[in-house]
This record gives sequence, structure tokens and C-alpha cells, in this order.
Amino acid sequence: MPEPDVRGAGGVADGSATIAFRGGGFQPQPRRLVPFIVFVLVIGLWQAASWRGWLPDLFMPSPWQIVGAFGDMLHSGTLTRHVGASLSRIALGWLFGTTAGLAVGLAMGIFSVARAGGLPVVSALFPIPKIALLPLFILWFGIGEPSKVATIGFGVFFPTVIAAYTACDSVPRNLIRMGQSFGLPAHAIVWKIVVPGAMPGILAGFRITASIALILVVAAEMIGAEYGIGAFILSAGNLMQTDQLLAGVTLLSLLGLAVSTVLGAVERIVLRWR
Amino acid sequence: MSIRFIAALAAAILAWSATVAASAQEKVSIAALRFVSSSPIFIALDRGYFKEQGLEVEFKFFDAAQPIAVAVAAGDADFGITGLTGGFYNLAGKGALKIIAAQSREEPGYDFVAYLASKKAFDAGFTDPGKFPGKTIAITQTGSTFHYMLGMLSEKRGFKLTDVTLKPLQSIANVTAALKGEQVDGALLPANNAYAAEKAGFAKIIGWVHQETPWQLGALFAGTRVIEQRHAVVEKFVAAYLKACADYADAFLARDAAGKRVFGDKAEALIPIIQKYVQPKPSPEQVKASASYIDPKGRLLVKNIYEQIAWYQAQGMVARDVDAAKILDLSFVKDHLDPPKR
Amino acid sequence: MDLRLDGITHRYDGLLVLDGIDLLIRDGETVAIIGPSGCGKSTLLGIVGGLLRPSAGTVRTIGKPRADSLNPFTYVFQDFALLPWRSVAANVALALEHHPLPRAERQARIKAALGLTGLGDFADALPRQLSGGMRQRVGLARALVVRPAVLLLDEPLSALDAQTRELLMEDLLAIWARERSTRLYVTHNLDEAARLADRVVVLSRRPGRIREIVSIDVPVAERLSASALPVIAAVRDRLWALIRDEARVAEREVQHA
Repeated sequence: MPEPDVRGAGGVADGSATIAFRGGGFQPQPRRLVPFIVFVLVIGLWQAASWRGWLPDLFMPSPWQIVGAFGDMLHSGTLTRHVGASLSRIALGWLFGTTAGLAVGLAMGIFSVARAGGLPVVSALFPIPKIALLPLFILWFGIGEPSKVATIGFGVFFPTVIAAYTACDSVPRNLIRMGQSFGLPAHAIVWKIVVPGAMPGILAGFRITASIALILVVAAEMIGAEYGIGAFILSAGNLMQTDQLLAGVTLLSLLGLAVSTVLGAVERIVLRWR
Repeated sequence: MSIRFIAALAAAILAWSATVAASAQEKVSIAALRFVSSSPIFIALDRGYFKEQGLEVEFKFFDAAQPIAVAVAAGDADFGITGLTGGFYNLAGKGALKIIAAQSREEPGYDFVAYLASKKAFDAGFTDPGKFPGKTIAITQTGSTFHYMLGMLSEKRGFKLTDVTLKPLQSIANVTAALKGEQVDGALLPANNAYAAEKAGFAKIIGWVHQETPWQLGALFAGTRVIEQRHAVVEKFVAAYLKACADYADAFLARDAAGKRVFGDKAEALIPIIQKYVQPKPSPEQVKASASYIDPKGRLLVKNIYEQIAWYQAQGMVARDVDAAKILDLSFVKDHLDPPKR
Repeated sequence: MDLRLDGITHRYDGLLVLDGIDLLIRDGETVAIIGPSGCGKSTLLGIVGGLLRPSAGTVRTIGKPRADSLNPFTYVFQDFALLPWRSVAANVALALEHHPLPRAERQARIKAALGLTGLGDFADALPRQLSGGMRQRVGLARALVVRPAVLLLDEPLSALDAQTRELLMEDLLAIWARERSTRLYVTHNLDEAARLADRVVVLSRRPGRIREIVSIDVPVAERLSASALPVIAAVRDRLWALIRDEARVAEREVQHA
């Protein structure tokens, strides 16, 4: 009798065999340390390359120099002024854009007339780079805060509209039919069924619009801003202070990380039911 | 060996020797703006001064001062000629480029950059460069020459620059628009734009920078590696450049007994050359209005360059370790002006 | 309150789905509607509940619903249709929110409905934490909390597994016994119809017409007793005999569609 083809555990005299395990793998597991190690490794390699002179600091400042630029900002007290100025612009612009965007987006999600009228307008205006409209915003809103808030607000508005009305579409129709069958008035169906049902989509939209607001703050602060992270980055660019430029960019990405953490927490609370 | 073969060989040798003769012309490149202030290099090319020195010069045009310094620092161009800014000093401080000769400067009697007040602010009493404190002023960029000029003014007139609200608007066009829309009280603008603004009636010229704070505005500079490795070429280049500077000064810098500028036949002869390279193409009147003072012998206001760097450093706009002495190579031009006493 | 259907006819885009349904449903009666796939059972329920407008015919109520009824027609849905962001109690409360009720009565009604459906301990749970059977109990509680005159059940047990379905059928019978509404019960499951209904309306293949009405003469209270079993089995067989051939044709038709 021929031996059975057995891999892994050895065959036994009576012909029985243990079945070799062949499952497992292909299933991403959380590895808490890995991102941290990768981060440290990349920064370390970068710093080492700068020390060894492989990266001339004319073209790429070392991490240590960027930290130094941060230190200077902290020391001179300009850091809080820059962050404060940008945050207030981002917050105001985002709030205006989101409020208006939700109003229009929900209207488009609920009313056929609003959708028929709004969709072509939104589709036509959404892809326009808001930076191209900067001169117009300056004519309309001046070179003070309003034009900066408006630039961010406009950038946030359109994605919010689209997120809101597609989120309305994703609310199961049977829930609306259920509301009707229980005699709920239309406004109650909107506030108790459509809006909470659209919340996951709307919150996902918030993540996108928060990033857009951060991106646009640099453009918004091109014009007439004394303080602000964007103004700081631009002036560092003008002055060829590459270490400060990267410090500013780092500041923006830290801000992005903070915003995303906050939004994550909001999602966990608001969408507890998922 | 046939006659035909010999003929072919001879032709080949002839062609080769022609190539060698052509390559005897040393190739160099210079990064510049298509501005009237770049005139000396246009003149040197057009009148064959570079060729006389055995140089074949290629122009690399940019639309802002910053990229010119970057191009030279990165070795994409051998020379650069443009205004001196905070960004320029930061780049130069890394050791990649050195100033070798003068370009434009603010010289008493030669209008170049004006202080302007908006119509409304002027009517409200903003009539003098001493009245900048408390005003909102448009400039192009943080660390630009306009920023520095205001800084010098504040030192001369004894006010704090922090009492002036600066609005960086990125471009001359935006500055003009802000002045027009009365979104700022005043601005600094080049002569050309200043005259136009006053003529259109939305702004008033309340003074000229040359009346307040003469200074070295622009320079010719070279890559450090070019100076080290091709020293003779730099000398030849500067020689041609100085010859053109002398022509330029002769034509554009003459003044009559009353101190008024006069433009004679020599200017008329140079204007078409300048018009050929400057974009957008200026009218002869615009060329004259923009013809800044350029030292006939290419001499720099050396002390002022030290002052500029010190000012930018005090503002935190230029790194502390930038040393003026290391970014100047004063060996190519004789008798620089106003050297600092050391 | 009786319910009277006169010549209900319905078309979807010209396709005749229901054709002249006449039916009288008496107060307190449980009527099941069965028929092959696509015979318009659910459409009929939608028309009775006022969610669909019939192409022709009328649905009339005769008499008044009882005094404490807030909503004469309420639904129980096949897919439960619960709001996932609301707790069990809040889902049930939804049906009451637009009725002006004293707080105490509102609470009492919710408590009673949860008690009736065996959800007393789950008031604060979220739908995602519940099994399918528990979710449908929430749907049932929500429909009952308004004390409807007519309960419209649209395949309420179809989304459940066989064991849960058995359990819920027993619970439904218990509820039938304690609560006095008229019920219209649409199902494709003959067992449910035979065990839960007083009368079973058998619809023909599309266009749906009433083929036959089968009565089950066992009081609700005795449905679970051993003596009821043979009667129910006989009804079930009868119903199968009635729709078997048409079900097969309908099945093929659906596959071609």
C-alpha cells in the first residue's frame, strides 16, 4: 500500500495522518507599534542623510532644523498667533460653508424641484478651483477677513451639498414609507428619519470638507494676511526659509490630524447606533 | 586611395575644425527678468560685447526674482541678475551664490519706487512719507524689496514698522487693485505703475524712495562653483557687463543743470534694443520711466548690503548665520562704493 | 369597525396587477391573503393602508374605530423598518410623537406595548443589538402602541429563520388573544396563514383576483391545542392544492421576467 502524501506532521504506521494547517494569513491585524517604528525610522534616516551631507540643506532641511524652526516660533510667540488666525478662518469658513451646504444639500435631497434646479448648478460650479476665484472674492469681500472666510466657505460648500444629498438618497426608502404609514407629518419625517439617516454620509463629507478647509487656508491667506499658517508658509517660501516652510507644512498636517481625531470622536458619539 | 576619398577626408577635417572654432566661444547662461532693469545684459548681447570676450551667452528668463536665485544656486544658470530680497540672502547664505557687481540702485534724482497714498487717505492727510504709522499698506510679499524699503523708511523717520499694517498681496496688479478699491491707505509701487495710478486719479505719489533712503536694489551674481572653477569666464562676463553698464549710464542717466533727467540720441539708440527683450513690450516713454540708476562701473553700495542683511536678520526673515562678507565677491569690480570699515 | 373593499383594481405602468377585489373584513377578524408570487398581495395591503392609490375601486370603513385608537391603520413590515439610531422604546415612541398625549399616558402605552410583545427588558437596547425576531417584536410593538383598528402585516415573518418564525407565530397568537384589532396578514407561507388567520383569501396569479376564501373554524385560543392540528393541516393542504399549479407557472414566469 503506498504511503499517503502527508505534509507537515509525519505519517503514522497505521496510515492515519494529522491534517496540516493551511489557513490563516491575508487578514490585516492591527499592529500598534509598526506605524510608530516606521515613523521613527523615516525621520531617523532623513536626519542621518542630512548629517552625512547626502541631503544638502539648501534643498532639504533636516528634521532637526524643522524642530528648530518650531522652537523659534514658540519662542517668539508667533506660533499661537499664526495658529489662532488660521483656526478662526478655518472654523468660520467651514461653519458658513457647512451650514449653507447642508441647507442646500438637504433641500436637494428632499425636494425634487430643488434637486432639478440645484444639481446642474452645483455640478457646474463644484470643479472650479476656488483659487481662480480669489481675485473676484477680493473685489466682492475686500482683502480683510471676509474674503478669506469666503474662500474657505465656498470650497467647503459644494462638497457638503453633494455629500448631503447623496446621503439623503442613501436613507432606506422603507423607513420613509414607515414614517408615512404612521402618519408622521412631512417635517417630522425629515427631522426624525431623513436627517439622522443621512448622518453617516454627512459626517463622511465633513472629513473631506475639513481637509479642503485646511488646504484652502493657504490660498486664502495669500492675500493680505499678516498672520496665519498659510501666510507663514507663503512668506517662508518667499524668503527661501525651507526649514520654516516645512515647519508650517508640518503644522498644517498636525492640525489635519487633530481635526480628524475630533471628527472621529464625533462620529463615534453620533453614530453610536451603527 | 582615390581622389574622391581624399576630398571627403578634407571636407570632414574642415567641418571638424569649424566645430572647434565655434566651441572656442565659451558658453555661459544668465537668469534674468524681462525688465528694463536687466538692460545691461541686453545691451552687452546686442552690441556684441559678450562675443568680444569670447562668450556665447544664453538668457534664461523667469517671471519673478526668487526663481532666478534658485536657478543659479541649483546650477541651472551660471549668472543671475535681479533684485536683492530676503529670500535671495537666505539662499546666498547657504554658500551657493555670490554677488559680484551692481545692478539698479535708488540714487537721488532718479525716480524708481514711489510711496503712494490712496485718494481717500491723501485727502484725509496722508501726504508725507512720515505719516505711515497707523496706516494699512499694500506690499507684494513678506521679505520683498518693498518690505525692506518700508523698514528703511521707518528707521529714517523714526517710527515703528509694527505700527504699519502690511498687507502682502502677491503681485503689483493686486497692489494696484487694492489701492484703487481703497482697501489700503497706501502702497509702494515702481515709477511706471505709480505714474499710471496718479494719472488715473485713485492714488497720489507722496514721495520717492531715493529721496529718503538711497540703497542698492539689485545685483549681478554668480554661482559659487562657477567663480571657483571658471574664474576667467566670470572676469570676461563682468568686463562685457561693465562696458554695457557704461553705455547705459551714458544714455539714460544724464541730467541737466536743474537736475532734470535728459534723454538724448544715445538713449534713442538703446531703446529699440531694450524693447526687443523686455516684455510686455514697453513704449519709449515707459523705458525712460523705468530706466533706473545703474552704476556706470558696476560698483556696489557695499555697506548697504551689510545693512540689508542686518535688517532682515533683525526681522527674523534671514537666518542669523548669513554673513555678508561671505556672499560678496568684490574682486571682479574695482573701487566698490562705501565699503564697511572692518 | 368593518372594512369594505369594492372593486379594487391596480395597474403598474399598464400592467394589471389587481383586478376587481371585493372583500368585507369584519371587526376583530384576522384575514390572511395568500397567492403565488406577483399576485399583488402587498399592493393590496398598500392600498388598504393608504400608501398606494388604486387605479380603480374604493376602500371604505364602516363604523367608527374604538375610542382609544390614535391611528386606524398601522403596518408591520417584512424588513422591520426600525430606525437604527433609536432605542427600542424610542422606536415604539415614534408612532406616538405627533399625537398630543399626556406624558403619563404615553409612557403607559409604550410600557404596555413592550410588555405585550415581550420586550420589557429591552427598552434601551439598540436595534443592531437585537436578533431578527426581537426586531420584529419591536415593529409589532410600534404598530400596536397606537391601538390600531386595523393591523396591516406585510409578510412579517419572511425575513426570519424557521425556528424564530415558529416562536413568533406562537407569540402572535397570544397577542391576537389579548388585543382586539382587525388584522390583514399578507404572506406566502401557507402554514402561517392556516395557523394565524380566521379566513384565508386565496388570490390567483397576476392579475390577482379572489379565487377562493377558506375559513378556519378554530378559535384563536385553541389554535395551539392538539385538537386543532388536524384541522390546520387540512386547511394547509387545501390551500396548497389551490395555488400549487399557479405557483409553478408564476415561478417560471418570474424567471423569464
